[in-house]
Amino acid sequence: MSALMGVSPLLLLVAAGLAIMLVDAFSDERTELALVTAASLFVVAGLAGVMLVGEVPATPEVVTRYLAVDRLGLFFDVVICVGAGLSALLAGGYLREHGLERGEFYVLIIFTAFGAMVLARAVDLLSIFLGLETMSLGAYALVAYRRTSARAVEGAVKYFLLGSFAAAILLFGSALLYGATGHTDLAGIQQVVAAGEADATLAVLALVMLIVGLAFKLGAVPFHMWVPDAYEGAVTPVTTFMSVGVKAAAVAVLVRVLVGGFGDPASMGLYTGWTPVILLLAVATMVYGNLAALAQTSVKRMLAYSSVAHAGYILVGLAAVHEVGSFAVSSVLYYIAAYTVSNVLAFGSLILMGSKGKEAVSYDDLAGAGRRHPMAAFPFAIGVLSLLGMPPTAGFFGKYYVFSAAVQAGGPMIWVAVIGVLASAVGAYYYLKVIVYLFMREPQEDQPIAVPMQSLYVTVALVLAGYYVVKMGVTPSRYLDWAVSAASSLVG
Amino acid sequence: MTTRYLTWLLAIPAISALVVLLLPRGWEKTIKRFSIGAMLVELVISIRLILADYSDAGYHFVEHVAWVESFGISYKVGIDGLSLWLVILTTLLSPIALYASWGSITTRIKEYAFSFLLLELGMLGAFVALDLFLFYVFWELMLVPMYLIIGVWGGKDRVYAAVKFFLYTMVGSLLMLVAILYLVASYEKLAGHYSFDLQELSTLVLPALPQYLLFAAFALAFAIKVPMFPFHTWLPDAHVQAPTGGSVILAAVLLKLGIYGFIRFAMPLFPVASQAIGPVLAGLGVFGIIYGAYAAWVQRDLKKLVAYSSVSHMGFILLGLFAMNRNGISGAILQMINHGISTGALFLLVGVIYDRRHSRLLDDFGGLAKVMPWYTLFFVIITLSSIGLPGTNGFVGEFMILAGSFLSRTSIGFGSSWFIMTLLATTGVIFAAVYMLHAVLRIFWGKVVHTENEALTDLNRREVASLLPLIVMVFWIGLYPKFFLDKMNPAVDAFVTDFTVRYEEGLRTGEPRLVDFDKLTQGFDAPDGLALARPTNEEAQR
Repeated sequence: MSALMGVSPLLLLVAAGLAIMLVDAFSDERTELALVTAASLFVVAGLAGVMLVGEVPATPEVVTRYLAVDRLGLFFDVVICVGAGLSALLAGGYLREHGLERGEFYVLIIFTAFGAMVLARAVDLLSIFLGLETMSLGAYALVAYRRTSARAVEGAVKYFLLGSFAAAILLFGSALLYGATGHTDLAGIQQVVAAGEADATLAVLALVMLIVGLAFKLGAVPFHMWVPDAYEGAVTPVTTFMSVGVKAAAVAVLVRVLVGGFGDPASMGLYTGWTPVILLLAVATMVYGNLAALAQTSVKRMLAYSSVAHAGYILVGLAAVHEVGSFAVSSVLYYIAAYTVSNVLAFGSLILMGSKGKEAVSYDDLAGAGRRHPMAAFPFAIGVLSLLGMPPTAGFFGKYYVFSAAVQAGGPMIWVAVIGVLASAVGAYYYLKVIVYLFMREPQEDQPIAVPMQSLYVTVALVLAGYYVVKMGVTPSRYLDWAVSAASSLVG
Repeated sequence: MTTRYLTWLLAIPAISALVVLLLPRGWEKTIKRFSIGAMLVELVISIRLILADYSDAGYHFVEHVAWVESFGISYKVGIDGLSLWLVILTTLLSPIALYASWGSITTRIKEYAFSFLLLELGMLGAFVALDLFLFYVFWELMLVPMYLIIGVWGGKDRVYAAVKFFLYTMVGSLLMLVAILYLVASYEKLAGHYSFDLQELSTLVLPALPQYLLFAAFALAFAIKVPMFPFHTWLPDAHVQAPTGGSVILAAVLLKLGIYGFIRFAMPLFPVASQAIGPVLAGLGVFGIIYGAYAAWVQRDLKKLVAYSSVSHMGFILLGLFAMNRNGISGAILQMINHGISTGALFLLVGVIYDRRHSRLLDDFGGLAKVMPWYTLFFVIITLSSIGLPGTNGFVGEFMILAGSFLSRTSIGFGSSWFIMTLLATTGVIFAAVYMLHAVLRIFWGKVVHTENEALTDLNRREVASLLPLIVMVFWIGLYPKFFLDKMNPAVDAFVTDFTVRYEEGLRTGEPRLVDFDKLTQGFDAPDGLALARPTNEEAQR
């Protein structure tokens, strides 16, 4: 495959973004930008998907030594574009309903997704930083999109300040790593590290800084402080996109750096390498994320903390790489894909529950919705059940897969899996709370009732997400194969 | 090619649930009839299953299709003498419970029927699954509909009870998931491929320590479901809050899944641990018998009384199960059916009175025998079955369990404790008579104290129709248990033999390894099916 073909999803997406900018500048306001945006994202996802299934060489090619053309990159293209496309559809309903529709929103979504895709393909410290900043700048602006809202601005400023700080740490780490190994490309770093020629102290320090910077983007405890505020302040479609697309890119780059750059047995080892650090992060993230979500009264904030908790499960899968290699990587990939559709379903249903003037935010807003609007409550229930990990949904299979990787890794990892399942049992409580309010409570007398909006866009997004939540749970084979083949391009 | 009976058994509730979901809300009558109709079709199919030849111990109606090939997950179903009657129990009780519900459930008919069909799917699936992954899926699948049935249509504190039920079960089953994963990972290391197939996993022999841990994880999941003391606290809450139909299914079928899990999975897979921990579990069962009986005795709420009586009855079943001989295990399986029938019927009867008086407190009744003679008759018959009067089903089951447990006594070490446990369990039979007859006395005999009770109507046609099949079963099992035992005995014998071989093989191991048990079992002759707790010669001859 030629290099041009390999990066065509990126090029196509940029072209679409530029075109949408033009359309927005020259057309009247009634143009269906959401539709165009979502369609272009889905086309890119489809293109990447076709290439993923088709004849991609198993060994990665590198374009201008900064970007990889491999199945892993294509897999993340699909996940990020699907997440972004569904978020754009949700935005199409949400922004119109709440009178917030402006053209730049969709352009920002596209370019943020572009940054995320670059990040997911980056195999050089320079392109990692470039991708990260491209993505983050878009994300900062998106969080602050509702600029008249104090919450949104607060969330965005917090995110921006902490994000810049994290980026600086990451950059510093990159510099140290260059100093330690003399390489900026991950393959070169890998070689030097594996040969034991790197300056050990510098390399360890650099690795720790890289992990800190990326854990921040992922929202892993204790680097999660920005998550609840940014997620709550942002308009809900942005929250959706942040929790799926941006998070997926963070996972991708973490996998690339840790497995692609420090993938030799000594650097990965359970007692000699980065595995215990990731394990520690994983345990803290799962436990704290679930416990904090328990205490929330706002559903949106609960979903924010739940997204922190899910980052923890992903890290468990990542920590298992040292023993079970590509099995663990593919479990992480499957998890992020399953999480993407499940989370879109949950956030999308939350969007659907509110209408102009009364957005559904707290549990109380959901009270009795199952009786009044069963068609809106039903997808919500499926979404939270998938996040909770109930069979037969995508979420269950994802959880099964990462914990399976952990158990196969053996030793102390088994106990981490035990902690993980217990934490997710805690999670059951707050996810069930959604169902309790939807189906088992009636609204209080004096409270204004949130009325679901009518929107074809949101409905379509929910139907798509719901379809895949069930499909990936009932017949997961095909998606597993994709995840496995994507993982194989990184670890043999 | 044979007909895929079991797949139909699973497909019909699944498809019907979807159809119900698509029917318009207003067509309440259609929804009611359709869902009952689907369940009756299920009953007919399941009765066809009885006709197979169960004289050999293997699985029947086996279907095996790969599901997720790369992980060795398959759709593998089949039944044998151990699960046959539990399947029948499910298909019999489901329509009865749903039909009885239509008397009292008036809101959200559509969702109720949907939940019930999904519940039936989950229960049947768990009974017929021969693949651990598939089993887990069904095991979890039935959690959600039951949660909704309690939480949406239940009593005043329904949300609390529903969430408690869900979380208890969830914690247990998640740990079981980790145990399953460990089992499969160990198997993969030896065999070179993944498999969740029970028969393949059965060839794996693990060293003692992992066996103990894995057995503990499985046992926790199953013990919560049974529920075994001290994990029983969710049960009274769930029962009291659940609507009548939900209580019936919960008591009659869901609890059985815990015991079934022990027989099908935990015991054969981890024989060493099971043999060592089994007496402890049986001891907890005995404690549950007495504790449940005492707790039932002091209840003023009739439904709570029946709920605690369940704890007591399930204790018997645990005792029989871990006695590890033919009598005990056959008795345990039969008693599962018995408990399903009599406790299911008791909950129906409690529902009858609650629908009329909106009270279940013993104090609110008295002298009902004069007002509702038919109701009294039914109640007394079921009561007698529940306390194990000869001639009713309860007697047969309890007798076999106690006999089995008594036969376990002579082995050395722990053996002597079986004698004491049997003794204590037998007093439980007396306590059962005390609390049940005490309740009957307070409700039916004496004068009508409360004027509200004077105008109560007797059983209506719906109620008689739902109770009658259960009454028939009470006497059928009570007077001619051979019909039921003949189907299960070969499987039970094979189970005991197999367990013995596994146990001895398990003791020998230091490293995990694969063993072809089919070969070992052939030619092995357990004396009279009595395995580890071998009786003295004299008893064996008898």
